[in-house]
Order: sequence, then structure tokens, then C-alpha cells
Amino acid sequence: MAHLLAGLGTSHVPSIGVALDRGQQQSPEWKAFFDGYEPAQQWVRDNRPDVAVVVFNDHYNAMFLDRVPTFAVGCAATYAPVDEGWGPRAIPTFEGHPDFSWFLVDALVDNKFDPEIIQEIKVDHGLQVPLELFWGRPADRWPVKVVPIFVNVLQFPIPRPDRLYELGHALGAAIRAYDSEERFVVLGTGGLSHQLQGSRAGFTNPEADRAFLHDIATDPTKLAGWTREQYVETFGGEGAEVIMWLVMRGALDDVVTVLFDHYFVPASMTGAGMIGLQNTLR
Amino acid sequence: MDDERPTSPPGSIPDTPMLDRAQQLRGWRINKMAMGLGEPENRHAFLADERAYLDRFGLTDEEVDAVTQRDWKRMIALGGNLFFVLKISAVDPVRMTEIGAAQVDMEHTAFLRDRLGKDG
Repeated sequence: MAHLLAGLGTSHVPSIGVALDRGQQQSPEWKAFFDGYEPAQQWVRDNRPDVAVVVFNDHYNAMFLDRVPTFAVGCAATYAPVDEGWGPRAIPTFEGHPDFSWFLVDALVDNKFDPEIIQEIKVDHGLQVPLELFWGRPADRWPVKVVPIFVNVLQFPIPRPDRLYELGHALGAAIRAYDSEERFVVLGTGGLSHQLQGSRAGFTNPEADRAFLHDIATDPTKLAGWTREQYVETFGGEGAEVIMWLVMRGALDDVVTVLFDHYFVPASMTGAGMIGLQNTLR
Repeated sequence: MDDERPTSPPGSIPDTPMLDRAQQLRGWRINKMAMGLGEPENRHAFLADERAYLDRFGLTDEEVDAVTQRDWKRMIALGGNLFFVLKISAVDPVRMTEIGAAQVDMEHTAFLRDRLGKDG
């Protein structure tokens, strides 16, 4: 059976990708941010995951409002970087894992989650930036396969936080049931607090962000019990996307050990959080 | 469950425009136009003759004004969503924080200092 090594959480701010494109990791503005990922990158080098299930949202780069799946599972063999307006970023195309993707789709539908199935799509910074942060940017190919799970966190109605936590339970069970010796990680992405539009633009909430990083490890059912509106009020209009971390957390056991974590504010306009969680009983 | 508040419509949260049913219907034309800027040939068309490009998507006069004046606050008020209109900054470069400052009618350095705690 496949192994679930860890759950990883991270922000996916597009400005992080721009900083990487410009080689600004050591600049005064960004050094403390990128330094915070060194323990995570070391863990990835030591543990060499084979597959990353990445829970993220498309930011209207590959999908328009004509079709808005609440949940979708990528079942493609490859995922190229999408053109977000500046041309596709100069990073390698991601390799998919269609066999696990279809296994996951079967498992989700059996568990009464009914995702859209996507066999041809490009991916935006929501997937790119987390992969770059944990694996570094490779010269020619990514050392890990990706399985994207797309969540609509932009157009209301967005899914309920408790539903995302339950989706994580089904995802974790599917990984544990998959007949393979492959080593999996699940990435929850997005957040933490930020608001980019309206008269509350520029809002961040470092205190709530730090509490979230604590609670996602120790008290996820509390976070799953919040309403969507509480997330919008607490983390900002765009920060509410942090509910996607609950899928990652739900894939793990109730009791987890924190491998590493980091917080930096502001990355562009965002409170940027990162965490690594491992089942305590292995 | 530590909170039993009834679910309120997202539009009721102060100063926070959410992409709900009304907002996405109102903003359809602006958002569709901006989505097109993900294609290089549309970026060329926008730069060559902005008005002609906007007319392809049937923008109202008010929407045309907001876009051509780069009025980031009005674009959002008219139903534009940030992740769409941000693509305009790919053809006519503006920093995200400048778009943020425009949302709150603040001068850019004041916005960076007062809202984001950044000096200079």
C-alpha cells in the first residue's frame, strides 16, 4: 500500500514566483521568507516523495466562469504552466499520475464526493509556487509527480470548511488503499490572511494566521467547524482560500507531529504561512 | 462548533466584495475581456487598439471608462474580479500593491506603510 509521508501547507502568492523568476531570494525583501523554507526543502531531499497531491485553486487562468466545478481532479499525464498574462513561466511541465488520479476519482465517488474529471488543463501559480518552494526549481524535470485537486474558493458558493476536511479523510483513505509502494505527500495551499480588493484591501491578520498554524496541527475540527463567513472576516476576502489546508489536514491522523513551520508577513500583501505535519503513530 | 451564527450572504461582510451570483453576472463582460489577455494575440490587440479590443466583449460605456482610465476601484465595483483585472497589469504594468492602494483611495507609499507595515 502507498505511504503517506506528510501533509505540507503553504501559501501560493504569485509574487513569490516573480521573486524566484528575478532571482531575488537573497534580497532584503525576500530573504527571511525563503530562508524559512530551508528545513522543508531539507526534509523533501531526505524523504524524496514520489507523488504530491496538490490541493489548490485556479485563479481564472485555466478556467473561466462558464464552468465552475466545486471540486475537480486532474487525471492528465502532464500539466504545463499556464500563461497568466505575462507568458508561461520558465519552469518545466509537471508530470501527472493518471493511474492514481482515476483511482482517487473512483474512491471519492464511492465516498459520495463527485468531482469533475479533468484530462487536459494547464496549471497556474497556485500549484507552481508550492512545488517551487518545497522542491526548488529544477533545471529540466520535476522529481515528483503531481495530482491536482482543484477547489473553487473564489465564486460563491464555495464549499464548506467541514466538507473540505471530510474530503481530506477520503483522500487519505484512498492513498492508504492504493496498491503501490510510492511515497505520497499532500499539499494544502493558499492563504494565509490577505485581501486584495475592496476598501479592506491590504488587510492582514498575523495573530489569526499564527493561531491557524497552531490549530491546523492540534485542533483541526475547530477550524473545520468555522463558517465560510468567519474565514472571510478573519482572513480577508482572498485569504478565505486557506480552507484548502483542511483537505491536507483531513488526510492525516487526528494526532500529528509538527516537522517544521514558518510565518512571514507581508509577502506582497499576504501573511505567508508554511507547515509540515506527520502522523505521530507511523 | 464554537459558533452558531446563521450563515450570512458573503456580500454582507464589510468592505469585502465577494464574487457572488450578482457580482459575477454584473462583471461578466469585464471579466471575459480580461480573461482574454491570457492569450498573446489578445494582448497585442489590446495594445494596438484598446477600444476595439474592449468592444469585442460588448463593454458598456461605464465599463470602458473604468478600464481605459485604469480605475481599479471602479472595475471591481462594476463586478470585475481582481484575478481577472490583474491581467490588465500584464499589458500595462502596475504593481499589485498599487492596485491595492487604489482600492482604498490611498497614496501608494502610505498604503504600504499604513496597511502593510512596509517603510519606503
